[in-house]
Formats: sequence, structure tokens, C-alpha cells
Amino acid sequence: MNSRLIVLGSKLAFRSSPRMFTTSAARLSTSKDEGFPDPLDLATGIEKKEMLLRLAGNDDPYNLKSIKRGVGTKETPNEIPSAFEARIVGCVCEEDSSHVKWMWLHSGEPKRCFCGHWFKLVYKEALV
Amino acid sequence: MMKINQPYFILNLSPWPILMALNTFNLMISNIMIMNFKFNMMSLMNMFMIISISILWWRDVIRESTFQGNHNFYIMNLIKFSMILFIISEMFLFISFFWNFLHNSLAPSIELGLNWPPKNINFFNPLLIPLLNTIILLTSSFTVTLTHLYLLNNSKKKTIIFMNLTIILSIYFLMLQMLEYNQATFTFSDSIFGSSFYMATGFHGLHVIIGTIFLMINLLRMMKLHFSFIHHISFELAAWYWHFIDIIWLFLYMTFYWWNN
Repeated sequence: MNSRLIVLGSKLAFRSSPRMFTTSAARLSTSKDEGFPDPLDLATGIEKKEMLLRLAGNDDPYNLKSIKRGVGTKETPNEIPSAFEARIVGCVCEEDSSHVKWMWLHSGEPKRCFCGHWFKLVYKEALV
Repeated sequence: MMKINQPYFILNLSPWPILMALNTFNLMISNIMIMNFKFNMMSLMNMFMIISISILWWRDVIRESTFQGNHNFYIMNLIKFSMILFIISEMFLFISFFWNFLHNSLAPSIELGLNWPPKNINFFNPLLIPLLNTIILLTSSFTVTLTHLYLLNNSKKKTIIFMNLTIILSIYFLMLQMLEYNQATFTFSDSIFGSSFYMATGFHGLHVIIGTIFLMINLLRMMKLHFSFIHHISFELAAWYWHFIDIIWLFLYMTFYWWNN
């Protein structure tokens, strides 16, 4: 009983209907609880894009994880995804090197790091 | 349109931070005007401005998050961390009040007659209204947790019921606190005792008001279906804030009310 009163009070206080008083009890008598919106329905913009990518099995939708270097010869360069014309790449040249060597990688220009590994920019569709 | 390929949300230009900063500074000046010259108008104007700016700023954040989807899961983590930092800074604000109280009460100075509470201070019984207040705040903490439980379980009706209960309990707490302030036999200027007591409990009451407003906004957003069971960070932060206020009250009750007597 009290909980119903609270529901009634809050509905009267916060509802957007222009009528200040209604005699219909139909809205309160339904015992069905629709719940909150479905998360995917509610989400929009970049949030929805991230959720869809995660649902599709992509656990790194923003390319934040480091890429494990492959063979990296001139014929099979390491492919760096980017939605833009260029991206900064940091190469950890040797396994135990204490610093990262940074370089600009431009699209259409495969580049060789000082240590001999090749990198190539491949186009990836932007999130939004 | 600019392509976005990273999780960070680049904010648009917004006038609210600078306006809020200027008005906060003006509020400080206007408080001095009240204290020194009993001039209220400036403070009222500034309170009106600050409330307006808060409403508009909050509206913009709701638009950015719910209606434009800029608060993705990466940003949500960052927001949670910033709330943790904010709550820690608030904790240190209260630590300064506790420090002041303990410094002055554990070794009362000669001006207080070397005793605590100072002579002729009639402190209220901590087992009456303050104990009831403790129970009320603990109950409201419990109901806000229930709200979270039902929100996670996607049952809207129960969520809104317990959110309403939480807000009613917090308003009840504020009313009791006001009643107690009205009946108190000592004032803010009654030695360091009154100063430290009203400073700490007053700041706590202010935080309860802020937390209640925060919870009310979240109740409104729940009714407007802004939340889903995985994205309700605004409510989560309000619940954190509410638990923080509750914990501060427990410490206040233990030192300022109970031990003090």
C-alpha cells in the first residue's frame, strides 16, 4: 500500500502530462513491469558502435592494445591499422630494449625501422 | 564531419566552467558581505546564478552522454576514477574538521578552562535525535543499495520506489537536523566548541543537500528512462556520494555527538 502511494506521489510530481489530476487508475493498476530500456536500444553514437563491435567479437574496438610484431620483411610488412593518412608507430626493436622508437608512418609509404622491421599503414574504417 | 577513431570524448566549447568559477568567487565575496554587513542581496543573486549554471551544465552533460552517446565504456571508467578522486578530496575536507575538533578537545586550552565541553555548554543527548538521524541515514544507505540492486535486475517500479524512499529519508534527516539546530542552546560563536560543531555538522548537512539533489536528478532520469542496467553511471556516482555522506555521518556521530558527551 505504501509503495503504491509513493509511486502515485512520484508520478503526480514528475509526470509530463499537462493534466494536473486524473481519475483513471489504469496506469497504476497494471502489475506488469516493463523495466528499463534495452542497453543496445538506449545507446547511440560511439557508445553503440563500441557495443556492436564488442558483440561482433572485437575485444579492442579502439585499437588501444599493442600489436604483436610479425615477420616484418619488405614483402610482408607489419600492418598498422589507421583511419587517417598517418599514424605514429612505436617499435620496440629488441625484446629487452628499454625504450620505444617512435616514427611517423604515412599511408602508401611502407617504412623500415632502424632495426630492420618493415611497417605499412592499412586503412581501417573509423568508429564514427 | 571529423572522423573519430579513439575512445576519448573531445568536449565542445562550453561557457559553464568559467561562469561557474567567476560565480563561485563572487559567492565567496557575497558571504563576506553577509557576515560583515548583513547584506543578503548579493548572495541571493549569486545562488540564483549558480543554480542556473548547474542546471544548464548538467543538461549539457546529459545531452552529451545519453542523447549523443559520447560516454562510452572507456569514458565511463575515467568518470568513475574522477569521482573517486573527488570523494577523496571531500574526505580530506572533513579530515580537517575532525583534526580541528580533536586538536581542541583532547587538550582544551586554558581559555576554555582546561575542560571539554567548555563550562556552561549544554550539549544535547546523543541518544535522542542524533541516534535517530544515524538510523535514518543508515536506512537510506540500505535503500539506495536496494535501488541499485533492482536497477541491475531491470525492474523499474521497484527501483523508483526505493529511490523515492531514499530521498524521503534524506529529507527527513535534514528536517531533524534543522529541528536540532533550532533547539540547540549554544551557537556558532559559543567558543571553539560551537564553532567546530556547527562547522562540521553544517558542512555535512550541506553535503546531504547536495547528495539529495543528485539523487532527485537521478530519480527524474530514471523516470525519463535514461538508464539501462549496464549504463547508469550517474546513479552509481550518486550512490557512491551517498555512502560517503553516510560514512562521514557515522564518524561525526561517534566523535562530535557521542564521544563529545
